[in-house]
Amino acid sequence: MVAGEVWSMTWLTLRVAATATLLSLPIAIAMGYFMARKDFPGKSLLQALIALPMVLPPVAVGLGLLYLLSPQGPLAWFWDLLGLRLAFTPAAAVLAASVVGFPLLERSCEQAFAAIPRRFEQVSRTLGRNPWATFFRVVLPLGQRGVLYGSLLAFTRALGEFGATALVAGILPGRTETLALGIYSQVQLGDDTAAFALCGVSFLLSLAALLAAEGWVGREIKGQRL
Amino acid sequence: MNTSASLHNTASPRSSHLAIQLTLGSFRLDIDTQWDAQVAVLFGPSGSGKSSVLETLLGLQPSARAHLQLAGELLEDSEKGFRLAPEKRGLGWVPQESTLFPHLSVRQNLSFGKKRAGPQAASIFQQAVEVLEIGSFLDRNVETLSGGERQRVALARALASNPRALLLDEPLAALDRNLRARILPFLLRVRDEFGLPMLYITHDPDEAVLLGETLLVLEEGRVVANGPAREVLWSPAALPLAEALGLENVFEARVAAEGSTSTQVHIKGGQQLTLGDPLPSDSAVTLAIRAEDVLISTVPTETLSARNTLKAKVLRCAPHRGHVHVHLDLGGEELVARLTPAAVSSLELQVGKTVYAIVKAQAIQQIS
Repeated sequence: MVAGEVWSMTWLTLRVAATATLLSLPIAIAMGYFMARKDFPGKSLLQALIALPMVLPPVAVGLGLLYLLSPQGPLAWFWDLLGLRLAFTPAAAVLAASVVGFPLLERSCEQAFAAIPRRFEQVSRTLGRNPWATFFRVVLPLGQRGVLYGSLLAFTRALGEFGATALVAGILPGRTETLALGIYSQVQLGDDTAAFALCGVSFLLSLAALLAAEGWVGREIKGQRL
Repeated sequence: MNTSASLHNTASPRSSHLAIQLTLGSFRLDIDTQWDAQVAVLFGPSGSGKSSVLETLLGLQPSARAHLQLAGELLEDSEKGFRLAPEKRGLGWVPQESTLFPHLSVRQNLSFGKKRAGPQAASIFQQAVEVLEIGSFLDRNVETLSGGERQRVALARALASNPRALLLDEPLAALDRNLRARILPFLLRVRDEFGLPMLYITHDPDEAVLLGETLLVLEEGRVVANGPAREVLWSPAALPLAEALGLENVFEARVAAEGSTSTQVHIKGGQQLTLGDPLPSDSAVTLAIRAEDVLISTVPTETLSARNTLKAKVLRCAPHRGHVHVHLDLGGEELVARLTPAAVSSLELQVGKTVYAIVKAQAIQQIS
């Protein structure tokens, strides 16, 4: 394995993880706010369903996604309509990373929003701001640290994603082979040196992301007076 | 910002009418009351429903059935399916607890309602800053403000949004007594300089008497009395509450002569009272005497230590929870004494009988 391959693999991993996090973000924020503010029958069930991808074996999640993306699956008509074949593309790797990272992100947003006293939103309304303006001027700024913290956790989870990605995106060198998949295939090929080198890069990336999450944002959250 | 719908139903610019039916768990709020005054005080013990009334007015209680007209503006009419959103009601709200936005500076908090304030935003911002004297800490972080500063900023923020009425929910409740006395003058200045209609919620009788022209007494979800502040505190309906607060007897008085250890005051009708505290002469004061601190004698007496012996006529005797409220006419003011039924019968108190009310100088409290 040459250094250029390590770099392109690292770059792909970062791109996949960042795209996955950014795509999940608006949905997780909307869902987190909804769950933090609404009570309805079946809320616990929905909460469990959201958390499911976090505890299921990632391979099982991958198999489920593969089924949904396949031209023979229940959504075949939808993919035909769009003319898209996502399985075994970088997009599939992004999708897999999004699904496994989403529960972490949603939960963190939900907790951040639930900690904001409703009075702030009510005062904002009486000062002439409609619900949308209130959300963007009050709720989101007050919950931003939780949102950021969740984003970093989801990003870190996406960096190390293996099982679901392997199934739905395959291990295609230069196309879908991220660091985690690269380590596996180098071990399979018997190149322990390369595998350890990739482990080292993974270690540094994950450490940096976790340090950012825990050391900086995490401390801010604990110090926050809400 | 007026909507055209709310402009139709305009009566006198100060007249208000609230009819609310709201059920929250086992609590039921059911009121139908009106007033015509710049400042109305909604007065009642905690749990009486004061905050529910306020939240309904603000549009934050969607389950309420209501007809709400505040200072001439129709805000809600469930019958006709009319309901302004909270952001369209134009109400300046100062909640009990501090709700300054912690992610914004004092200045940014004040500017939050700027959009609604319209073209006058800048001048009204300036006026609010001046009246509440907060110019020196506009650029501070709100987390660094003291309790009194926070409430002044909260009041300024409500004013700066150019509201058509102010709703104040026990704005002084979170402050200690000393601080309260320092913030009250700011409230009076706001009342007089902005001239806005105000609904002031409190369970503090001093604030109620000081600020309010009209007093609405709320008990267990119902308005039990409504009228000029002093009359209401005397009404039979409000008596149990006044009793709990030690406010059965409230007098306006004028200081006649100041001594070194006591003060003479005149009350309406010309009778004179002696107080234990020195007060500046010719000042107007409001005094309270607990009904249980009033003794009744059928003969004038000079052999008691009590400084005040007032000639009176019995107006009526009203039994109340095991004792009797004896209402006395002091020749202009009414005084209530609390006696046991045995005392009432042994003194043979009957309507029209002349008696002497005896009050210790120390039992007269000055409330403002």
